[in-house]
Amino acid sequence: MSVLEVKDVVKRYRNGTLANDGISLSLEPGEVYGLLGPNGAGKTTLVGQLLGLLKPTSGGILVNGVNVVKDPGYARKSIAFLPQTQVSMDDIHVDELIHTVARLRGLSRKAARARTEELIDALQLEEFRHTAMSATSGGARRLASFATAVVAPANLIVLDEPTNDVDPVRRKLLWNMVAEFGRQGSAVLLVTHNLAEAERFIHRLAIIDHGRIVSEGSPASLRTVVTDKLKLELTTLNGLVPHPALAPEPGSENRYLFSQSALPAVSEWLAAQRDAGDVIDFRIGPPSLDDIYQAVVTAGTPSLSEAKSEVVA
Amino acid sequence: MKPLRDYYHLTKMQFLALRGAFVIISVVNVGFIAGFVYGFGFLFGDVSEATALYITVGSATNALIVGGLVMLPQFLAQAKADGRLDYIRSLPVSREAYLLANITVIAGIVMPGIALALVAGWMRYGISFDISPLVLVVIPLAALSCAGFGVAVAILSPKMQLTNAITQLFIFYAIFVSPVMMPEDNLPSALQAISKLLPPGYAADAMRATLTDLPNTHLGQSLIAMVAFTVLSLAAASTVVRRRG
Repeated sequence: MSVLEVKDVVKRYRNGTLANDGISLSLEPGEVYGLLGPNGAGKTTLVGQLLGLLKPTSGGILVNGVNVVKDPGYARKSIAFLPQTQVSMDDIHVDELIHTVARLRGLSRKAARARTEELIDALQLEEFRHTAMSATSGGARRLASFATAVVAPANLIVLDEPTNDVDPVRRKLLWNMVAEFGRQGSAVLLVTHNLAEAERFIHRLAIIDHGRIVSEGSPASLRTVVTDKLKLELTTLNGLVPHPALAPEPGSENRYLFSQSALPAVSEWLAAQRDAGDVIDFRIGPPSLDDIYQAVVTAGTPSLSEAKSEVVA
Repeated sequence: MKPLRDYYHLTKMQFLALRGAFVIISVVNVGFIAGFVYGFGFLFGDVSEATALYITVGSATNALIVGGLVMLPQFLAQAKADGRLDYIRSLPVSREAYLLANITVIAGIVMPGIALALVAGWMRYGISFDISPLVLVVIPLAALSCAGFGVAVAILSPKMQLTNAITQLFIFYAIFVSPVMMPEDNLPSALQAISKLLPPGYAADAMRATLTDLPNTHLGQSLIAMVAFTVLSLAAASTVVRRRG
């Protein structure tokens, strides 16, 4: 049985805005699922409906087989949730907040205390333990909020931009925990823009735009969108006219996509440019998730139209 | 019982979150209420015993009105604006427990103001009180009827700025144009009619009935009205806070 099943969810707000336009997706136990999309794409609306804060206009949402549109209380009991907005709790200390939320999530006093210590240790929050939430740095506050989300066991974890403001070292700790939740069998729905980091942990992802899923699959399968393409990142001295096989990447001045068959010609051209002293550095590799994401959501460019039609097909 | 446990933990959470400001807000509130008692006498020159009782008990009632109709809606409006309300709503906790936790914290802030108002009245005007044990029922009911109304305002109001503006209006209303600090007969009939639709007048009447021997109080009627305000406004707030957009 899927941990989460979203079936053709449509959400139209009272002011007429169509925020979700027929979204369907499912998460299996142990799966880390990325939900990507530009601001206003409908991600937060979808999450609000999973948690029972919003009611779908039509469609169904099942958590562990239970219809949470009818029983939103079950969703809140079953889902560990980290909202995108910073949890502001004024003068409550970091350890007090984690402990209190643990108690509110049903842990016994002893279990809540043990779990609080475990999370403070795992996320390296010791130095902030007795600091008021309002006085902590943005990153520490984010981690404390993350700790409150995962303080009690849940088989569905929904994290909305978990690494905002978090320093690189602790970010790694957080991602490792997310991966560990997946290994332990929880399904994780991850809403993020931080594709470069999340890519290593995501099993599947959906790109959502204008309320619809425009692309879905594993990172590897989504790469097939531009599978015959390679990416070139170029650092030049004074700018130069690119080789005819190189197509500029939308929104970038120094990145190009080119067909694998053009690799010998491009390599030869690069060698010549480097010998002439025009090229300082270059890197060639497969397109990243970021590239795929940009290609799918950036409208009106030839490479996008191409990518989109391939994805939809 | 889960809702009771939720109430306990949420109240504790609210107290801890406010720990830095709690004493300051309480002291300011006490000063505000004692200032009413002390300062209003100057408006009247020679203050009769009855007027002194109106000023003193009215100021004590104002402590509850400020808590329920000003502080509470402002706290909730802030929680709504900074996402805290949605965060709490996403937790597996009783929403009513959260509302009651907020009411409890505010009550903790304003309760000293009631006692201090009476002490200030005794010191300033040399008045004495005729205290009935029923005041122990009246105070929580007066607090809840104002708080229920305040919660409903905060939850229904679409913007924090609007909530804050409305709450300022409540203070003006309670002090100058409602039968809280003065006898109902002093007001024109239109204001008397309006006072029947809002909780402060009933709260003040019940406080006078249980703290003084002033005539023309209607304890039974005021108790029924306060129960009705409490039940209706908390039911409305509970429905709204449960509503899914």
